[in-house]
Amino acid sequence: MTRLAGWLTEPVPRGRVAWMRTLVYLFVAADLVFFTPWVRHHGELPGSFYRPLLIGRLLHLPAPTPSLVDTVFWLLLVAACAAATGRAPRALGWTVAILYLEWMVVAMSYGKVDHDRFALLVALVALPTAGPARHRDTIPTERGGWALRVTQLAAVATYFLAAWAKLRFGGLDWLTGATLNWALLRRGTALGQALTRVPELLVAAQFGIMAFELLSPLVFVLPRRGRQLAVAFFYAFHLGVFATITISFIPQQVALASFLPLERLGAFLLPRRSRSSGGANRTDEAPYLLDRRGWGLGRRRQRAGGGAAG
Amino acid sequence: MNDKSLRGVSKSGDAESLTRRGRLIRVTATLIGCALLLTGTAVGDDDDFPFGPFRVYASADPPGAPVADTRVEAVDTAGLRRILTQADTGIRRAEIEGQLDRFTAEPSRLSTVATAYQRRNPGAAPLREVSVVVRWHEVRDGRPTGRSWDATTVVWRP
Repeated sequence: MTRLAGWLTEPVPRGRVAWMRTLVYLFVAADLVFFTPWVRHHGELPGSFYRPLLIGRLLHLPAPTPSLVDTVFWLLLVAACAAATGRAPRALGWTVAILYLEWMVVAMSYGKVDHDRFALLVALVALPTAGPARHRDTIPTERGGWALRVTQLAAVATYFLAAWAKLRFGGLDWLTGATLNWALLRRGTALGQALTRVPELLVAAQFGIMAFELLSPLVFVLPRRGRQLAVAFFYAFHLGVFATITISFIPQQVALASFLPLERLGAFLLPRRSRSSGGANRTDEAPYLLDRRGWGLGRRRQRAGGGAAG
Repeated sequence: MNDKSLRGVSKSGDAESLTRRGRLIRVTATLIGCALLLTGTAVGDDDDFPFGPFRVYASADPPGAPVADTRVEAVDTAGLRRILTQADTGIRRAEIEGQLDRFTAEPSRLSTVATAYQRRNPGAAPLREVSVVVRWHEVRDGRPTGRSWDATTVVWRP
């Protein structure tokens, strides 16, 4: 139990949490406007088309109307943009989490549920608990570590449990069936349509997908280099899916960023500081080393000269 | 020097550690979330969102079975027949397919598609017929033959 707790709350630099927040909240804003603009149209649909999900029925959420959907849209857009700055992480974070969940209920209550954003929802619920974090902040945080760890767990669970669902609904026949052929014929790109002429390749791909999804939890036990390659493979998989059937799984890709050393973005995107300050809010660039496995923070090693860097 | 807060966090020097309570709450929340998700995957359905099974492309289609491609067609009062897209009605194709059981049981429900179209296109000619048509693509030995046929699943007329 202690080992599990230690692993779940392995500290990460606060800067990583800050960058994850920026990424996740900017995605929420972009999702509203660019990626799933169709959600907004649900407010205009006749009420009889509404098929509330269990969560909507349990919470007695009202059937979407144009004014309700517009209100959630604008509040969520403003809150997400504000939260992306990292200010008031708890108040703004919970506001975004609750509004986005309602937005998802509006999205999914019309006969089609998407399965690409469980990990993003976990990130939205976990990030408000991660405490204050600035983008240059190198102080290790355990609550930030937990927020990123559960996001990683949810992202990998999405793969592993997708394999479970295939075995539950399709059975072993899924492996040799025509699921990919079916998907490519319905919504394949030119590349995807071309692949339908090689059904043997599609069956092989189904074996490959099943193997990758079942083995995906190994990412947590791989050494650092192997883990980096595994995460790169996850991204490459989504690129391949997008190139063939134009499904991006972009919320899952955003959640996968919880595996990345996002704090390094500061070196590229933030203006360099001419000097660093001391004390608890010190913002020097890299006084901590990744631990042996490269998960989070290992033993702290001060640089000669008081830890100032830059 | 520890600065303990009520939020389950203690600070020791520069590192920010969780208190026993903060850690326990997080481990418990993680385990509850895992239990809900595993239960949803094992016995749940889409209705249990967000804890339902990740069943996208999870069903197995027999290799020789024809592939269904669903569309919504409409005829307006000017006699013009057209395909209604998501841009026309605000309804995704998968949502039509997801509610097909309700439409076939009660074709008058398709009037909601006409209403949705009218709301989004107030200047357009009203619709006098809406139908769900499935184009079946023939597949032989796992390859599409290029032949297809259309079957009207449900029709609504006011």
